[in-house]
Amino acid sequence: MRFFSQSFLYDEPWSIVSLAYFLRYPNPYASHVLSCDVISRTLTSTGTLLTTRLILKQGALPRWAPQGMVPRSESWVIEESEVDPYGKVVRCQSRNLDHVKVMSAQESVVLKPTEDGKTLQRTDVSIVSGFGWGLTKRIESYGLAKFKSNIQRSREGLKTILELVRHSHSHRMTLGLSTPNSPNTFANSDSTPSFNREGESSHRADAPPPLRRSNSSWTSLSRWLRAA
Amino acid sequence: MAHSLSPECTPLKKEYDSCFNAWFEGYLEPAVAASASSAERAKYSKQKAEEYERNCGKIWGQYQECVQNAVKNRGLNDLLKQAREENPLREPPSSPPS
Repeated sequence: MRFFSQSFLYDEPWSIVSLAYFLRYPNPYASHVLSCDVISRTLTSTGTLLTTRLILKQGALPRWAPQGMVPRSESWVIEESEVDPYGKVVRCQSRNLDHVKVMSAQESVVLKPTEDGKTLQRTDVSIVSGFGWGLTKRIESYGLAKFKSNIQRSREGLKTILELVRHSHSHRMTLGLSTPNSPNTFANSDSTPSFNREGESSHRADAPPPLRRSNSSWTSLSRWLRAA
Repeated sequence: MAHSLSPECTPLKKEYDSCFNAWFEGYLEPAVAASASSAERAKYSKQKAEEYERNCGKIWGQYQECVQNAVKNRGLNDLLKQAREENPLREPPSSPPS
């Protein structure tokens, strides 16, 4: 059994990193992700969001892997996540569903805000092989090495999405500032908090976000994503 | 990627994802202070849940019907059932910092 842990600090606030994390597929660094589906989603009575996603990933087999060890080079991954918007924690666990006897890789990610408005990501990985035939250690080492070399890539992927999310947020702030002549109260209540938050990256804990604002932010973001 | 496991579900997935992501962005920045009472939070959570159901309930149903079918056809149900039984995430959510 092999373990690996790493922590990483993002400059962006927790809500933006969490959003980007859930949006991370597709991204240019994740071409190995073939499909991603939500197969279960629940909102608990305390407001926690529980999600299960089924992801198909393409893997390259090492040259020393015996024929037939793994029937096909694709692997199903189950991702289970929990979001607590009040406590501001995202917990996410991914593990492969098939080929488990050959290698079972489990990745746990926790996203929490730091006191200075940044976000800390903690990643824990465990790799186990039950394959036997003298290959267990080699498989586990391979799995761990592969994970370590990919962790930089997955961070680049997340950073790409973070850029897009951040752009869309600042784009929205600019819109709020430059539409002082909007006829209804929506714009009026919008522009005051926008003025206060110009240049800031902290999340607004007290100003209630109007429904439409969320929608228009997503529209801008999806436009960015389509253009990307 | 941006695809569903079954190509016919992909358009439904994309429509659902758009709806969810728009709602999710607001969900991540609750309009209640961290110091709010649990009753206030419960009320706000209920509002958020209703908003989600209102906006995305229908497309979710359609998307799920398609996906669950595809999962069944691919013979993944047993694998999923096994994984669910070992699900370690079924712990109570963390309470907000005091």
